[in-house]
Amino acid sequence: MGHIELQHITKRFDNGHEALADVSVEFAEGSMTFLTGHSGAGKSTFLKLLLRADVPTRGRVLVNGVDIAQIPLSRLPRYRQNFGVVFQDHHLLAQRTVFDNVAIPLRVVGMREREIARRVRAALTRVELLGKESLFPGHLSTGEQQRVGIARAVVARPKILLADEPTGNLDPELSIHVMDLFARFNQVGTTVIVASHDVALIESMGLRMLNLQQGRVVDDVLAGADS
Amino acid sequence: MRDHRRVGSESIHFVSARLGTSFLVWLVVGIALALPAGLWILQVNMDEMSAGWQGRPGLTVYFDTQATNVEVDATAKYLTEHAAFDQIDLTSAEDALAEFKVYSGLGDALNLLGENPLPWSLTARFVHSIESSILDSLKREVQNLPGVAEVVVEKTWLERLNDISSIVSRLGIVLAVLFGVGAILVTASSVRLAIESRLDELRVLKMVGATQGQVRRPFLYFGAIYGFGGGVIAAMLIAIMLMVIEPPLQSLLGSYQQELNLAGFHPLFLLTILAVGSALGVVGALLAVRQRLRDLELF
Repeated sequence: MGHIELQHITKRFDNGHEALADVSVEFAEGSMTFLTGHSGAGKSTFLKLLLRADVPTRGRVLVNGVDIAQIPLSRLPRYRQNFGVVFQDHHLLAQRTVFDNVAIPLRVVGMREREIARRVRAALTRVELLGKESLFPGHLSTGEQQRVGIARAVVARPKILLADEPTGNLDPELSIHVMDLFARFNQVGTTVIVASHDVALIESMGLRMLNLQQGRVVDDVLAGADS
Repeated sequence: MRDHRRVGSESIHFVSARLGTSFLVWLVVGIALALPAGLWILQVNMDEMSAGWQGRPGLTVYFDTQATNVEVDATAKYLTEHAAFDQIDLTSAEDALAEFKVYSGLGDALNLLGENPLPWSLTARFVHSIESSILDSLKREVQNLPGVAEVVVEKTWLERLNDISSIVSRLGIVLAVLFGVGAILVTASSVRLAIESRLDELRVLKMVGATQGQVRRPFLYFGAIYGFGGGVIAAMLIAIMLMVIEPPLQSLLGSYQQELNLAGFHPLFLLTILAVGSALGVVGALLAVRQRLRDLELF
């Protein structure tokens, strides 16, 4: 699990807007790729289709060779358990502690509390937040909240990590730190796809970059290679 | 099982943290459950009363206040020798007055009357059930005996009681359906509010691969808690209602020489009302969750 292929994907909404137009692209297992483009270019739609939070109007999304449109609804939760997702506004639950926020994916799969505690502490250690597990998100800085969101996304050791504008609310220094975290997860075999419009940051990473414009892939290059 | 325990405890915490709102929901659901359940109790007791009388209907003979002892004895003898009756109970005017003082609580007022306004009376029980045509002719016969003022056939009372019981039973069913739907809608509406306040959590749960059952679970617990609480309130309301109606009912039954034994309010009834309340709550929650989660966007 981790190989992704989009074949001639078109996504047109009811209002006629075409978010993606005949997109064909492949992500190797264990690769790290940046999706870039202006707001409305189709980056979020792209990620939604991978999670099957939405379905394409035309084309197929294959994950490890399986057309995800064919996955029955009853098995969709199991499919999504292979993903970790990071958002710009991190979607943390304000009434739950850092520990409980990070533990959510593990409780969903019915893990024992002792193992949950071990895994949560490990994830928090990786994002340098160990010791803050009993705090509530409101007590953390924006950067810390984003790192809690990342810890939650990786705690269940997903095969694929998706991030939608993860550095949108962070200063440049924190943004680099977050990207480094993604790169470290990628190094242990996780397929990472990051949607971001921060081209300068992406170029500094020197990794594959897909440039989306009006729903089409206009560039598929190694970031920084032509500069 | 672990998840059920955790979600159950979280749900109790969620509901108790909003005790004011929760109490209102419990009250509305409780009233909705109490009405049909109260009617059921009423019907059960009416059936008990009629069962107590069934098979031994009889006549109550009221004598003129001027009737002589000879006339009373003659009537009693006539009925004792009649093959249709197997038990004759004679009540003197003095005994009737003493009994009335006890049941009515008007002892002091009655003492002010110079004379006893009550007549002798006589209750005669039939050996078997009796056809109404024979009953009517017997009634006429007794009515014509000297000193007899009035003859009351208990069978008529019984028939009326059975008719009323039947009406109460059907009314109970109609009300149970109507108020049951009401309880479901109230719970659905409250659970819907709980869902709206936790949409972020639902999105996160769906995103990390929670099953529909896991996403629905906390809200089904809310529904069950609301319904269970409603059941508790309903049981309390019925208990209060029974306490309120017991004295006048005792007085009424006493005048018919019946002992008051309120039936129906037993542990099984309490368990049933709690189970029905919880079940209606869960149904309401299912409706709300199904409707709201269908269109929930992940992000």
